[in-house]
Amino acid sequence: MGVSVRQWVLESYRSLLGSMKFGSKGTIIWDSWDMWVLEIAVLPLAQISFFYFLVGYAGYSPSMVEYVVVGNAVQTMTFSSVFAVANITSSDKWQGTLSSLLVTPANRASMIMGRAIYQIIMSLMISITGLLYGYFLFGVNFSSADYPMLALSLVLTSMSMISFGLLISTIGLYMRTALIVANIFLFIGLLVCGVNFPVSALPSWLQILSYAIPLTYGLQAIRGSIAGASAASLILPISQLLLTGIIVFGFALGLTNSFEKLSRKSGKMEVY
Amino acid sequence: MPEKCLETVDLRREYLNRSFFGKVKSRTVALQGLSISVNKGELYGIIGPNGAGKTTTIKILSTLLLPTSGTAMVLGMDVTKDLYRIRKRIGIVFGGERGLYNRVSGLQNLLYFSDLYGVPASVSRKRVPELIEMVGLSGRENERVEKYSRGMKQRLHIARALVHDPELLFLDEPTIGLDPAGSRNIRQIIKSLKQSGKSIILTTHYMFEADELCDRIAVVSKGNLVALDRPSGLKKQVKDITLVEIKVFGDPENLIERMKAESKVSRVFSEDLEGRTTIRIQTPEAPEVLEAARRTASEYGIKVIEASIKEPTLEDAYLRMVEE
Amino acid sequence: MSRLEISRFQVVKASMGLTARNFFVDPQWIIPSIIAPFVFTMVSLFIFSREAGQTSAVLLAAVLGGGMMGMWGTTVYGSGESIGFDRWNGTLECTLSAPSPLIWIIMGRVLWNTMEGSLNGVFILVIGLLWFRVGIGIANMPMFVLSTMVTFLSLSAFGMLLANLIVLSRRGGFITNGIEIPVYIATGTMFPIVALPLYIQGISYALGPTWGIDAIRRSAIAGYNSGLHVSIYFDLLMTVMATILYMALSGYLFVQVEKIAKRNGTLGDY
Repeated sequence: MGVSVRQWVLESYRSLLGSMKFGSKGTIIWDSWDMWVLEIAVLPLAQISFFYFLVGYAGYSPSMVEYVVVGNAVQTMTFSSVFAVANITSSDKWQGTLSSLLVTPANRASMIMGRAIYQIIMSLMISITGLLYGYFLFGVNFSSADYPMLALSLVLTSMSMISFGLLISTIGLYMRTALIVANIFLFIGLLVCGVNFPVSALPSWLQILSYAIPLTYGLQAIRGSIAGASAASLILPISQLLLTGIIVFGFALGLTNSFEKLSRKSGKMEVY
Repeated sequence: MPEKCLETVDLRREYLNRSFFGKVKSRTVALQGLSISVNKGELYGIIGPNGAGKTTTIKILSTLLLPTSGTAMVLGMDVTKDLYRIRKRIGIVFGGERGLYNRVSGLQNLLYFSDLYGVPASVSRKRVPELIEMVGLSGRENERVEKYSRGMKQRLHIARALVHDPELLFLDEPTIGLDPAGSRNIRQIIKSLKQSGKSIILTTHYMFEADELCDRIAVVSKGNLVALDRPSGLKKQVKDITLVEIKVFGDPENLIERMKAESKVSRVFSEDLEGRTTIRIQTPEAPEVLEAARRTASEYGIKVIEASIKEPTLEDAYLRMVEE
Repeated sequence: MSRLEISRFQVVKASMGLTARNFFVDPQWIIPSIIAPFVFTMVSLFIFSREAGQTSAVLLAAVLGGGMMGMWGTTVYGSGESIGFDRWNGTLECTLSAPSPLIWIIMGRVLWNTMEGSLNGVFILVIGLLWFRVGIGIANMPMFVLSTMVTFLSLSAFGMLLANLIVLSRRGGFITNGIEIPVYIATGTMFPIVALPLYIQGISYALGPTWGIDAIRRSAIAGYNSGLHVSIYFDLLMTVMATILYMALSGYLFVQVEKIAKRNGTLGDY
């Protein structure tokens, strides 16, 4: 056991290093500097602006405008935490490298994890840029913000959302539709996670989905820490965030192995 | 004087490697002034190692790439100016897996390219089934290309290049990656195309293929033409060397080392197969070297299974030319 | 360009046909371009319907805007793929070596993509109407049809311009992904452009679809006021003029595309 844990750590470390070395070259879509600029600076601004102007036109109160700006700033991290992570497997299929990866004896979870860790940094950068836009361009009030709590909430949200991305990427091992699933989850948060309006405004059957996605709790924690809510009142959303993150991660791990078995059986590994 | 279908003079092509800001970091010279001319109805081979400039040459001649300097005339037209008129009269086959629309049927691929080449529907309706027949895909034409084998894809590729009945065909390594039966199939198609009067330019890595098919062969190396002749003529260039081929059983290291040290030996190759080693020795004095090899082998207790003197092949000629 | 006996119609038709075939074989590839406009529309409708006092005219305007976003999303995505598809499929060299100018091949693809976009737009329209029970009564049907068709053409032309830009820039992904939402904003799909800061409005006026969607709304909703003090005929005129401008620009850019293709032997390797 000791050996295998050590090996696991070493492997994760190696694949992490490997993915950092290949850096942005690893995936098809997110493969050059302009895409980083797009992801970090352009897309958050575009998305926040769209909804900022929209709620302005709809006549929302200033506090609700702030709600929408913060919500979209955080949601845009999905570009990297869910979409890019889920795309890892898809792009391997496109490039025909999936077989070469799967013949390696490396632990699958650590292999995918190693590549996904890279995205935590990206997710954080995206959301922080978004919040900075909020402060400088859209008048979000940070005067009573609890910064340590905000930092914790952001880190936990991005980690949980990456677990979510991993879950989708394991689907990619088996299905040729992983790209679609990734695309759905790229934007679904906008509708169901309380980004632009409270979850309670949704039909109740959709709320089930809301409470299964970590972003919903992450947003509560982040909005709370910006408003300077007491640590005690933030314990609930933060523990819910942690719990969903862990459950989703466990699911991803379990599915990785069974999907690999399935895809060996069906021979669908390289079909796209 | 036979009619020419293609002529290049001092064809040169450089690739510039640019840095992030567009500054030229380095230049790679792919062709350093190639001059060739191909006669009408000829099957002209271009052989050379990877990176010799074969594909660059084909791309320039097929109007896909501009030369840095020099001229290339195809069917009497300048490749830098008359590209559309040239394209209507030439066909190109790229080797390898790619180059077809995999999600649609073979038939649809042919019909699509017929349209892109401006073939009237009345003509393509007749010609496309003929082509499918010719490349032996009858009965499979309505299946998606992704279901085809490598050999079938390559044959479809050839049919694709023929939808507009071109006078001149470029075949860029058409048998690469195919099994022996598949390659033979392609070679037969190439032969029948030549018989039907088409001019063909072929690049290949397989010497026996060039030997079997080509009227003349140009050997290029590092962007230069190093030899040009009929296959028999190329082989004559290495007439001065003959080959001693011995098959041995046992550890051949000592034998190989000793043979390399012999004064009359110009080159030694060896190849292992299931415990046996085939040693090929290039030398102008074959009988003498053969005796020496037998003697040395018995000295080291190596068992000689077979020993003979061989005529040089095109491959021997080729290897000598590109290595010099 | 030398004289050709190849019929442009034949090439455009063939290219459209092949794109359509690829679409029917594997329609999943357009789904990414459906999702963003779909979710954006749904969210907007939720926001509008939550605020009291919103008339059904506002909702109908939003649903029509959603359809417009759907059309635009697919057009921009499809334009990015116009050459990317061949590059990805490994058929770029075969396509480039054909004697028909690339522009007609691209046009066939863009036309099909815009049609796909219209389907997408209708899909979003129907879902929006059903979910939020927006009553649809088109005030002036002939005008509505005309406006929609003119807007379709202007989107195709915009797609052509974009496809050429994308091929030229070697930063196709940046343009494709970066331009989608800004155009939703600038063309006034969900809120009138008069609600935007002046410097964005300047861009809005240069975009054909801005005028197109205004014409569509004016013809569909009796008494609709976008804050643009012009008549529907002016809207249509501006849409047509933008279309012509885009076509001219893409014709010019195409010459550059051809030059680059020949100089490098390929159209980039991204």
